[in-house]
This record gives sequence, structure tokens and C-alpha cells, in this order.
Amino acid sequence: MPNIVTHKYGMPSGTLPMLILHVLQSGALHGYAIAHRIHVLSSEVLTVEEGLLYPTLQKMLLKGWVTAKWGTSETNRKVRFYQLTKAGLEQLKSELSGFDRVTQGILDVLRTA
Amino acid sequence: MNEFFRRLIYLVSRRRLDRELESDMQFHREIAAREGRNNFGNMLQLREEAREAWGWTWIDRLGQDLRYGIRVMAHSPGFTLVAVMVLAIGIGVNVAAFGLFDMVALQPLPVPHPERLLRLERASPNSYSSEMAYPSFLFYRDHARTLSAGMAVLGVPPMQIESDLQGTSTSFVTANYFSELGTRAPYGRMLNPGLDGSPSSPPVMVISYGLWQRRFGGDPAAIGRTIHLNNKPVTVVGITPYSLATLGGQSPDIWLPITQQAYFIEGSNVLTDFDNSSVRMWGRLAAGMTAKAAEQELRILTNELHRQHPAAVWDNEFIKSSPGGHLQVMQREMYQVVMTVSVLTLLILAVACANLGALMLARAVQREREIGIRMAIGANAARVLRQLCTESMLLAALGAITGLLLASAVLKIVLTQSDAPKWLSASPDLRVLLFTAAITFLSTLFFGLTPALQIARQRQHKTTARHILVGAQVAGSCVLLIVASLLVRATHHALFTEPGFGYERLVSIDAQLGQYGYSANAAKVYLDEMEVRLTAVPGVRSVSLVLLPPLGHSVSRETRNVNGESVMVYPNWVSPEFFQTMQIPMLLGRTFQSGDRNVVVVSQSFARRQWPRQNPLGKLVGDGKVSDMVVGVAGDAHLNALSNDDAVEQYWPIAQDQMAGAVVMVRMSGEVEGFPSVAKSISETLNPKVFPEIRQIRALYAENVRGIEMAAGAVTLIGVVALVLAGVGLIGLVSFTVSQKTKEIAIRTVLGASRSQVLKVLLGQFSWPVGLGLLIGVVAASASSQVLRQTLYGISNLDPIAYALALGFLLVTLAAAILLPARRALQLNLAKALHYE
Repeated sequence: MPNIVTHKYGMPSGTLPMLILHVLQSGALHGYAIAHRIHVLSSEVLTVEEGLLYPTLQKMLLKGWVTAKWGTSETNRKVRFYQLTKAGLEQLKSELSGFDRVTQGILDVLRTA
Repeated sequence: MNEFFRRLIYLVSRRRLDRELESDMQFHREIAAREGRNNFGNMLQLREEAREAWGWTWIDRLGQDLRYGIRVMAHSPGFTLVAVMVLAIGIGVNVAAFGLFDMVALQPLPVPHPERLLRLERASPNSYSSEMAYPSFLFYRDHARTLSAGMAVLGVPPMQIESDLQGTSTSFVTANYFSELGTRAPYGRMLNPGLDGSPSSPPVMVISYGLWQRRFGGDPAAIGRTIHLNNKPVTVVGITPYSLATLGGQSPDIWLPITQQAYFIEGSNVLTDFDNSSVRMWGRLAAGMTAKAAEQELRILTNELHRQHPAAVWDNEFIKSSPGGHLQVMQREMYQVVMTVSVLTLLILAVACANLGALMLARAVQREREIGIRMAIGANAARVLRQLCTESMLLAALGAITGLLLASAVLKIVLTQSDAPKWLSASPDLRVLLFTAAITFLSTLFFGLTPALQIARQRQHKTTARHILVGAQVAGSCVLLIVASLLVRATHHALFTEPGFGYERLVSIDAQLGQYGYSANAAKVYLDEMEVRLTAVPGVRSVSLVLLPPLGHSVSRETRNVNGESVMVYPNWVSPEFFQTMQIPMLLGRTFQSGDRNVVVVSQSFARRQWPRQNPLGKLVGDGKVSDMVVGVAGDAHLNALSNDDAVEQYWPIAQDQMAGAVVMVRMSGEVEGFPSVAKSISETLNPKVFPEIRQIRALYAENVRGIEMAAGAVTLIGVVALVLAGVGLIGLVSFTVSQKTKEIAIRTVLGASRSQVLKVLLGQFSWPVGLGLLIGVVAASASSQVLRQTLYGISNLDPIAYALALGFLLVTLAAAILLPARRALQLNLAKALHYE
């Protein structure tokens, strides 16, 4: 699979919130874990830089899609865990359906060209 | 909880949240490092980028800019002080002017529902009268559904308390006047419809707080006392409150119920006569009604009134309403005054802003290094621009606050010095504050933006903007000084030249016989007798009759089209001796003779405009149906338009049927001081029930001139302030240029340049902005001063002396402002100047 990542942060623009929401579905995670999970799940294709991750998380906090609460990391350090909210779940659903339509559209174009 | 509130929470607790963010990112790095992945991004910058999502970075930046701005200001307290003062003057003058306008025309009266009060006046396409007949008022009041109440005010000449020589100002009002305004008496009671609404009620009066203090020593026992007013017993029932709000700003000392008017002025038919327009009408809109609806209903009522009393209503008459819930009911002419004043005050603001702008540009050169360093370490032009604008805003805010304080102080002085109603307050209301904010914002744009743009683009050394600002200052002060000079000339002219008639030793005796029910014949008998008696008084030189006396209570004028120009004509009706009494020269022809019919005397200007370069004698004036022959041409004497030299007069012989309204004019050869009491005793023997109003024309004249005197004083002050600003600005700029060019001057001098050559190099750059500014100023002043013509007492708005005075003053000041600092350049220590660097 060719590297479709053209953005300097290694992420097609606009898709990061969706990915974050998706990985949070299975439970609360801290920032690094979110980046790590996305990296692993994408077979190490996608890299989430902190320069994009944290601003995005701030925006999502403001939108109310996630909340943050204190927890303890695997290294025994006090750190904030981000948790999906109801609104976040809704958002994920709507983004997914939108994304499906867009990818389908792109694939259709590519097939005929 | 929506996004907006979450954002607010982020604003409040952004310190804590920033620490949490920092901890998140720190942890991220720790783990990344442990897994052997290094991240070299600038942590601080990354954090700032993340924080930007909260949307509050601008507040932090503003805080930084403000702190920085305050530091910059504190570093140069001299500049800050000058800048704040300059702005405070510019803004303060405007705020004070607006504050006055606000008091007069915008502040609502402190009465219940002031917005429902209407001033109602008679109008038609050709005529206008501020007063209507009392029976017409009653008709409107009783039939109008759109009005919940109607109030009428009848102004009368001052009335005599006991045997005072000096009359006391008096108004008759409808008994509901005070109940409609919600006035409560501090002592006793106000008039009220239940007790005072009928002619048969016992005669009562309410006195003003001032009269109570002056005449009754503030004694509450004055209530219930019976005194004599024009020899009629009347009981004092109440005192008006100290801060009394009235309709149209009237403030008589005595208030009487209008239904008892005939009791005080015996034989009067004012209350029953449809032909006698003498009361001012006010209305209160019924709940939910609009002024427009009231006007429509009143139009229908006017037509009905016309059907019942055809003589009482003009052709196409209608009732015009204006908002009445303010101190003054604004008329069209007043807005012209307001416009003129605002142009003048905005000019001084423009001068102040241009001044400050130039000052900031000059300072920008000194700040070149500082700005350069900031740009070098990564600030972009936008950031620098924002910083400079913040500094300007800071200066402007300080200037505005100082200006506001200044304006409040001025208003306070005005309020205490004038006999303004006591409910007015000098402290700014919301409208004044908004105005201040708006004008501050505007001036910040004007004085701050140009320099900021130049600096941010690193173009400090371009002189064009600086020169434009110098030119603007010169032009602005030039206009202000010319206007001031014109007004000063007009005051001088009014004070030291005769206004076309001799106003010294002249007395008018207005018996108002018509008000006492005199017929024309009876009035003639009375006046003839009075004339005989007066002529016999030693020191009386000449006695005559006039319908509209100089500086009288009523003025008649019409605008007529004369040879394509519209001319303000002041008609009057006089007896043959009038011109002699008034000392108006008869330039051509003769005055009236008994038995003259269809003749007219016109003023010199009238003749010149109507028949240029022709002999006016024997010409006919009139509208075709009746023409009158010109038998004489009198000198110009603007009896009732003192300040308006464009006015012209036309005199007809006073007719028999006008006698009930005639006023006696008396010319004395000696002093007039003892004369009023003599005249009073004569009138008493003729008819003790008649109380004529005796007025000295000199005092009225002085009062009339006082207005223009004050205007001249105020504008002169503003003009001088503008000039000082411009002068100080120029001094600053020139000394700045000198300091910048020290080396150049030194080299030139060493190489043998003469002093005048050095000066030429140095000052050449100022000659065109100053010259152009002067030119623009003169052109603008001569074009716009046309509106002042009516207030200049016969001084032309292009009066060369006024212009020469203003320009001379301006040039001397500017020359001094340029040459004084430039002299320093000639006294340079050459060796030191060249050694430097």
C-alpha cells in the first residue's frame, strides 16, 4: 500500500478526530496511548505527532466529545485520561457515515479513470 | 452545557488547564523517550499551539501588549503627558458640546412618560404660529381621542406684586399642568383640576422656589398668605420643587390657573376669542397612540373647526407635532446651529489628532531600533502593528477619561453659572459615554493608524505623512481662527456701532390694551392721552407708536422672492414720528402724513435689492390686488433681527384698527433711570387696571449682544487652543528635524554655508505643508462661513479685516514655532557635532 500521507503531521487532514473517537470507544486512554494505538492499528503507516494530537484533543474537549480525568499510567505517573462522551459517540457515527460516502466516492472515481 | 460555556470555563481556569496540558505533553515525551523515539519540537511552542484551540490567546496577547504599552509610556512621561492632554482637549471639547446638546434635546424630562408629551403648533404651507387661540385649544383637547390630556400655557408680561417697581415673570397654565407632569409641592399644593379648574374657583397662585426664597425668605408660612398681584388679591397655595421640570423649559416665578386669567386682566377676552392666538399647546398621547395618529386626528378636527369657525383656521391649516419630552423642542434653525457647532468642535479634534499623529511619527524614528529588534527576533508586521495600535488605544483611553472629566467640569460650571433647571446634571449619561467611546475610537484611527502602518512597514523616514498632518493642523486652526475672528469682529461691531437706530435712552411702553378688552377706538383715546401726558414730561424728546417694537415679544417676517433671490422681509406698522423717535435717518422722500393711503416706507437695502440703481420713490409694492406707493426710504435698522444684516424692512402707517396692539416708543434726551416710575404713574391715572410693560431698549440690546459675545469668546478660546496645539506640534517637529540633521548642518556650516542657506535647507520642507494648509483653511472658511451671515451683525463673512487678523496671528505664531527651535541649529557646537560617532 502506497504511503498516502502527504501532510507533514502524517495524517490526512480532518480525519484525526474520527480516529481518536474510534480508539476511545474501547475505553479511556491518555494522550500517548491514543497516538500509539492509532500508529499500531494503522500498521505503523499513520504517525500522530504531538503538534497535532494535543491541539485536536483541546478542540474535542471544547466540543464536549471527550472529557479528561486524572488516572495513573502504566509507569505509575499521574496523567490525564481522555474518555468518550455520548456526544462524542454521536459525532463518531456521523463522521463515519460521512467518511464512508467520501471514500466510496473517491474509489468510484479511481476505478473509472 | 454548550461549547460557549465550556470556552468561558477555559478562560477562567486557563492557568490550571495549561499546567495539565503541560503534564500531558511531558508524559508523552517521557514515554516516547523510553521507547527510543525522540521528539525535538519546541515544547513551549507546541503547547501554545494547542492552547490556541481554546480561543483565548488574544486575551493573553492583549495583556502582554498592554503591559508593554504601559512600560513604554512610563519610559517617556513627557510624551505621554503631552499626548494625553492634547487628546483630552480634542475629545473634551466635543464631549462638552455633545453633553450640552444631550441636556437640551435628548435627555427626557424627569416626568412620567416623557415620550408621550407632544408640542402642538399651528402650521400651513405659508404660515406657522407657535401659539393658538384658547377656544381652539379647548376644542382640540375635548375632541382628540389620541390625546389623554391637553395642556395650555399663556405667557403674559411680568405682573406686579404689591407695589413693586420691577415686575415678576408669570405664566397662566391649565390646572392639569402639574398633575400631568407629576409635580409634587414641597410645601402646600400645586394647581389641580379639581380645585382650580373653574373661573369661579377662589384665585390662587403657585410660586417658584426661587421667588419663595427671595421674597418670602423661605418661610413655609407663606402658604395661605394673600398678596396682591396687579392689585388683585390672590392666595399663595404652594411652592414648586427646587428642581422643577417644566414643558419647553419655561421657568416663570408665578404660576396661575388659566381659567382665572380674566380676573387678573380685567376685560380680557383671550379665553373666548377664536382670533386671538396666544396659548402654547402641549398634549399627552393616550396609551398606545403614536404622534402620527394624533396628527391625523387633529387634521380632521382642524377641518371641523374650520367648518364651525371659518375665521379661526387658515387655508390648509394642520397641527404640527414635535416631541415635547425634552428641555427644548428642537426647531429646524436650531439644527443649523448644532451643525455649525459640531463642525467647529470636530475641527479642533482633527487638529488635536493630526498633532498627535505627527508627534507619534516623529517618535517612531526614535523607536526605530526597538521596533527593529522586535522584528528581528520574530515578530511579524501584524504583531508590531497590533502592539502599536494597543499603545494608541491606551493613550486614547487616558485622553478620553481626562476629556470626559474636563467636559463634566465645564458642564458643571455652565449649569451653575446659568439659570438652568436644577434637574439637569453634569455627570455624563449613557448617551454621552457612548458618544465619548465612539469619538475616541475615531480619533484613535485618525492619530494612531497612519504612524502604526508606517512603522510596521519600517518606513519611519518618509516625510509625506508628517507633512500632510502638519498641513491638516494648519488648515484646521486657520478655519477656527477665521471664524473666531469674524465673531469677535461682529461683537465689536455690535457693541460699538449703532444698529441703524439709537438704542440708548429709548423706552417702550407696552400696555397690551387688547388683552384688557379695549376696542380700537378706546385704545386710540387711551394712547392719544398717554402721548400728550408723556410729551409733557421733562426730558422726553419724541413719542410715537409702533405695532412691533424693537426687540419685542413678537416678530413678524416673511420670505419674499426679490429679483430671483429669497429675501427676509420684516414688516412693521408705525406712526409718522416713529423714524424720528428711533433716530432712523430718512434717506429719501418723506415719512407718513395723516391721511396717507396705500403708501409705504422701505429700508435702504430693500430699495437696493428691489430696484437696483433706480429711484425707488413712487414705485409700487404689493401683490397686485393692493399696491402701495413708496414715499420714503429709511436707513437700515434691523429692529427685530439685530444680527442679520441680510434682513430688510418695510413700514406701513399704523391703522386705526391696530391701536389695541400698539406700543408707545419714547425717546429721552437725558437719562432714563427715573422714567419708568413716571410712566407708571401716568398709566395709573389713565386706567389703574392696566399694567403696561415698560422696557429699556438698551438693556434688551445688551442682552441680545451677550449671546454673540459668549459665542465669540468660546470660539476664540477654541481657536487659540487649536493654534497653540499646532504651534507646539510645529515646535516639536522642527526641533526633531534639527536634531536629526545635526551632522548635515555642521558639515554645511564648516563648508561655508551662510546662516540663511542652512535655514533654507532645514525649513524648506515645512514651507509647502504650511502654505497649503493656510490656503485650504482660507478657502474652507470663506466657503463655509456663509451659514454664519445671519449672526454677524452686518459684518460680511468675507470681511477682509477679520481674515487679515486671523492670518496675521496664525503666521506670527507659526513663524515663531518654526524659527525658535531652528535657531538652535545655528548655534551648534560644530566640533562636537562632527566628533560625534
